[in-house]
Amino acid sequence: MRNLIWSATLATGALVALSTHLVRADEELKIGVVAAESGSFVSAGNTIVAAANLATKQINEAGGIKIGGKTYKIKLYIRDNRTDVNVTIAAARELVDDIGVKAIWGTETHDFSVSMAKITAAAKVLQFSGNSSLGAVLDDKSVAPGGWLHYTFQTEPQEWQRSGSTAKGVLTLLTPLMPHPPKHSIVFVGNDATGQYLSSHYVKALEAEGQQVDLVKYPPDTTDFSPLLTRIKGMNPDIVHFWYNGDSTLTAFPQALKLDVAPAYFLFGVDPGIYQERQLKSDKPVALSCVPVCWGAAPNPAVQDYFKKYFELGAAKGPQSSVSLLYYDYFFMYAKALEEVGSLDNPDAVVDAILKMKYQGVVSPVPLTFNPHHQVTFATEVSAVQPGTSDQFKAAVEQPPAAPPPGDPGG
Amino acid sequence: MQIFIQQLVNSLSVASVTILIGIGITLIFGLAGIVNFAHGEFLMVGGMITWFLVNSGVNFFVALAGAMIFVGALGFVAERGLFRFTLDRPMNGFIMSIGLSVILQHLVIRVFNEVQKTIPDPVGKVWLIGGVDVIAMRAIVVGLTAVVVAITYFGISRSRYGMALRASIADPDTAALMGIPVRRYVTGVFVYGSVLAGLGGALMIALFPITPFTGSVVIIRGFAVSLIGGLGNVGGAVVGGLILGLVDGLSAGYGLPEWTDAYALVVMIVILIVRPQGLLGGTLGPRATG
Repeated sequence: MRNLIWSATLATGALVALSTHLVRADEELKIGVVAAESGSFVSAGNTIVAAANLATKQINEAGGIKIGGKTYKIKLYIRDNRTDVNVTIAAARELVDDIGVKAIWGTETHDFSVSMAKITAAAKVLQFSGNSSLGAVLDDKSVAPGGWLHYTFQTEPQEWQRSGSTAKGVLTLLTPLMPHPPKHSIVFVGNDATGQYLSSHYVKALEAEGQQVDLVKYPPDTTDFSPLLTRIKGMNPDIVHFWYNGDSTLTAFPQALKLDVAPAYFLFGVDPGIYQERQLKSDKPVALSCVPVCWGAAPNPAVQDYFKKYFELGAAKGPQSSVSLLYYDYFFMYAKALEEVGSLDNPDAVVDAILKMKYQGVVSPVPLTFNPHHQVTFATEVSAVQPGTSDQFKAAVEQPPAAPPPGDPGG
Repeated sequence: MQIFIQQLVNSLSVASVTILIGIGITLIFGLAGIVNFAHGEFLMVGGMITWFLVNSGVNFFVALAGAMIFVGALGFVAERGLFRFTLDRPMNGFIMSIGLSVILQHLVIRVFNEVQKTIPDPVGKVWLIGGVDVIAMRAIVVGLTAVVVAITYFGISRSRYGMALRASIADPDTAALMGIPVRRYVTGVFVYGSVLAGLGGALMIALFPITPFTGSVVIIRGFAVSLIGGLGNVGGAVVGGLILGLVDGLSAGYGLPEWTDAYALVVMIVILIVRPQGLLGGTLGPRATG
C-alpha cells in the first residue's frame, strides 16, 4: 500500500513537472509601459496603457513572437508615473534595473520621455515615445551608436510635418465653406512648454499657406476664456485655430460660439466622436483634427476596426483616445524586428532592423518608416463639420510637406 | 467701446463663481478655523454629481439642489470624521486636506473616469443688449451668487445663529459657558461652506466643462479672494472676487493675455502687504477651537 502511495505521488510530481515545463515552453518578453494613470495627464496616459494592452493581447493570441527558435509571449509591466517626472524616473529605473525589460513605451510628455531616455540608453533598452517635441533633441549625434538617444524612437511625426499636414487640411476644408478666402488666422494656444513648441511650427505652416497669423496665448489652466475670446473678436480674424490642448479647446469653443468670435473655427485634438457626443453645433464652418486619426470619423476600415477593438477592451471614449495610435503599431514593428534579428540580446541590431523596416500599420495608409533621426512620418486627419450639424463630417488627409516651411528650423 | 463693455460684463461672470468659492473658504477658514485645501475638490464633486444627474435625465436645477445636498453631506462626514480631530492643530488639518483632495480626485476618476465632463447649457440663450453679448446662463449665475451673498451676509450679521457664531469666534470658551454649542457651530459652518461648493460646482459645469482636476485650479483663486477681502468676511469675499474678476477680464483684454493669472495674484500680494488683514478686515484665520 505504501509503495502504491509513493508511486502515485511520484507520478503526480512528474505530471506537474511536465506540465510546468510545457507551460514554460513559451518564454516571456518583458516590456515596460510608463504612463500617467493618475494626475493631470491621465487622459493621455490611459490611452498608452490601453494601446499596449490591445497590441499585447493581439500578439499573444496570434501565437506570440518567434525569436531564434523560441516563442515569446509579451508580458507587460505597467507603471503609473502619476504625472510626476520623479516617479517616471523611478519607474524607468525599476523596469530597467530590477525587472529587466527589453523595451519601454511612454511617456506622454517630452520632459518625462527625455528623462527616461537617460536611463534606457545606458541599459540599451529601446524606448518608443509619442512626443513630436523630441525633434528638438534627436539629431545626428544623439541617435548615433553610443549616443544618448540611440535606442529612442519618436512615434509621432516631426512637428513641422504635422503642422504642415494639418494647416493644409484645415484650409482645404474650410475655404469652400466661407464667403471669402480666409486671410487672417489667429492661433489660440496654452502657454506651456508644449504649446509654445507646437504653435511655433503651426504659425509657420499657416504663413506658408498665405495666412497672416497672430498668436494669442492663454494660461494653461484657464476655464473662463470669455475675456480672451472677446479680445480675439476685436482683432477681426477669419479663422480662430484652437491649438494643441483638446480639453481646453472643448472648454473654450462653446464660449467662442456664444460670443460669435469668428466666421470659422479649427479645433485641434477634438475628435468628431466627441463633437457628436457633446452635441456641439455651429452655424459657422468648423474643422476638427485628431492626434493623429479620429475614432469618430475613421478615415479607413483599418482605423475603424482598431477603435472598435480598442473600446471593446474598456478604454474610455475621450478627446485623446486617438493618441493611442501613436503607440500601437510600434509593438508590431518591434516584434517584427526581433524576429528578423533572431535574438533578444542584440538591441543594436534591433535598432538597425527598425530603421530599415517598412511596416504597414493602422495609423497610416502609407507604410511606416523611421528616418535617420528615429522619427516616423504620417499624415494628420482633418474633418470639416457640416454647418448646423453635430454628426455630418467630411474628412481630408493631406500628406505632410516634403520640407519645413520658410522660417521653420525643422526638428 | 463695445469690446470694453463686453469685457466688463465678462468680468462680472468671471467674478461670480470665484465669489461663491471664496465665500465657502472664507467661512470655513476664517470662522471655523479649518484650512480645507480640498474645498476645490468639493466643488468638483458638486459638478460631477450635477453632470451625473443631468445625464440621467434630471432637470438641471433639480440636479443643482442634489449636488448641494450631496456635497453638504460630504462636508459633514469630512468635518466629523477628519477635521474635528485637527481643530487644535490647524496645520495637521491643512496637510490632511491636501491628502483628501488627492483621494477625492482619484475616487472621481475611479467612479466616473478621467474624461472631461460637460452638460448642455441649461438655458442656451444669448441676449444682445446694446451690441454686447450677454449669455443668459451667466446672468443667472450672477443673480444666484447675489442671492447667496445676501442670505449669507444677513445670516451672519443679523440672525441669532450668526450672532452666536460670531461669539464663538471671538471667545469660544465664554461662548461655550453661555451655552452655545461651539463645536456644532463649527460643523454647521463647514457644512454650509460645503453646500456652497456644491452650488459652485453645479453652476460651474453649467458654464464650462470640468475634469477631476478642476478643483486644484480654482482653490488658489478661492483662497486669494478670501484673503484679499478679509478672512471670515462675506462682504470681503465679494469685493475680493470682483477685484480678481475685473483684473482678469481687463488684463486678458488689454494686457499680455498669457499673464492673466499672474496679474490677479500680483494684486493679491500687493493688497496683503498693504493690508494684511484684508481689505474689509477679518479674523486671524486658523486658531485652536476649544
